Amino acid sequence: FEAIESYAITLGLNKKYGSIDLEKLRCLAVVVDIEAAQDVANVVELLQWLTTIGVKQVGLFDSQGLLKKSKDLILETVPGSMLLEEIEKDVTPDGKRIALEFISSSDNKEAVMKAANILLQRYLKSSHPEDDKGEDFFTESHLNDALRVVGENVHVPDLLLVYGPIRSHLGFPAWRLRYTEIVHMGTLKYMRYGSLLKAIHKFTGVHQNYGT
Amino acid sequence: MNFMIHANHLLVLFTLSTMLSMLWFLLSLLSLLLLPCLRPCFPAKGSLKNKKKIDKGTYVVGEEETPKELQRELMPRHVAVIMDGNRRWAKQTGLLTSQGYEAGAKRLLEFADLCFKLGINTVSAFAFSTENWGRHKIEVKCLMYLFQRYLKSKIQFFQSKEIRVSVIGNLAKIPESLLRTVHELEEATKSYKKKHLILAIDYSGRFDILGACKNIVKKSEQGLIREEDVDETLFERELQTRCTEFPSPDLLIRTSGEQRISNFFLWQLAYTEFFFSPVLWPDFDKQKFIEALVSYQRRDRRFGSRL
Repeated sequence: FEAIESYAITLGLNKKYGSIDLEKLRCLAVVVDIEAAQDVANVVELLQWLTTIGVKQVGLFDSQGLLKKSKDLILETVPGSMLLEEIEKDVTPDGKRIALEFISSSDNKEAVMKAANILLQRYLKSSHPEDDKGEDFFTESHLNDALRVVGENVHVPDLLLVYGPIRSHLGFPAWRLRYTEIVHMGTLKYMRYGSLLKAIHKFTGVHQNYGT
Repeated sequence: MNFMIHANHLLVLFTLSTMLSMLWFLLSLLSLLLLPCLRPCFPAKGSLKNKKKIDKGTYVVGEEETPKELQRELMPRHVAVIMDGNRRWAKQTGLLTSQGYEAGAKRLLEFADLCFKLGINTVSAFAFSTENWGRHKIEVKCLMYLFQRYLKSKIQFFQSKEIRVSVIGNLAKIPESLLRTVHELEEATKSYKKKHLILAIDYSGRFDILGACKNIVKKSEQGLIREEDVDETLFERELQTRCTEFPSPDLLIRTSGEQRISNFFLWQLAYTEFFFSPVLWPDFDKQKFIEALVSYQRRDRRFGSRL
């Protein structure tokens, strides 16, 4: 039934998916398992679909960094794609661009370790009272700054699509996932445009209380 | 000549069909003979109950018989749960919000008890997030009172079941009475090893990570660790889940249809299997949990590495 529904959506038979308001989707992240990451063709096709849908920023994650190694190939084959850091420096933003970020497990715990070390060094070098508990040195914004110093992006994805056999984010940077919506899409090999459109459409209708 | 050829074909077909019929007859006869021998392997439920009465030593006291869909050796060691949907459940059933929370608390105890009986060592429950302080003051006050009353009334229950209870979270803002009950409960159950219930109250995953940073600073100032010693293993030991041998959940269940982790166990969930159930928490019964476990046991978790 899912396959049939997906094809119907792809063919434009379901008008509900005709136009999607992407205002809520500022940053999309995609987790790909390592077997799928070895075949860049599927990843490129997925990115082309996302460009068609109108997504502006995509973070691509695989635990081993295989997509990072294929970065140049992906940027070459996905029309309008640029590295996120280059688009951020670009003073003449082009609406047709899609900003890509390549992420791996080293950007998760290892990055937090490096950032924590930076904060530790800053704290130890500072003149602080003996009973100081570090409240002024260890806040969320301090860790965000430290993560930027070690070269990490702290943009929080609004939606995380997981392509793989298991429903796990496989070590995506944890600091960034606080309120991220997580959707398991199945394996990348059998990805469908209609399913992708449906997942994004469903996200646009989600309402978060943020705990309140 | 043609007639002879056709006659031969017919003879061959007749012989084949006769042989097939005889083979079918023999197989049927064999199955009838074997069936009585197979019966003891698939006893009826009634006879199994009788067997339980006769041979008490076969089953471990307190263990739940593993449902046939599951394999005991593939059970997760640590299951975490985000118990979402209590207020919606109360609204749907025409009850007060506080009654929804009470139903949720009752469900948690049943859930944890079932987990332990199935051989799961650790259960973590996201009872109250740091963001929940933003709810209506009266609602928060009721919730704190419910925690205090419920935990106090269940100390003997936990002791009788030999369940160790730990409470993690900021705890700086919770009422003094609740804090006293928490200490009393943790003290009363600290010696139990095999079953561990972790309640996250006023917990934030980001706060947990920052807390670990501060702990490392303290230890560094005391000369207990050097900067170069700080790695992932050491960091993990400074998180609030240091109270358990299994800090990383194997399975996270979130009920009520929401598909996010909402600042729960950010560091710890790297390779955790997620199961998002549309059912509201007070309705998340044994059958729903078995579905989650079946889904979990089917997965091939590689923890990010190649096979």
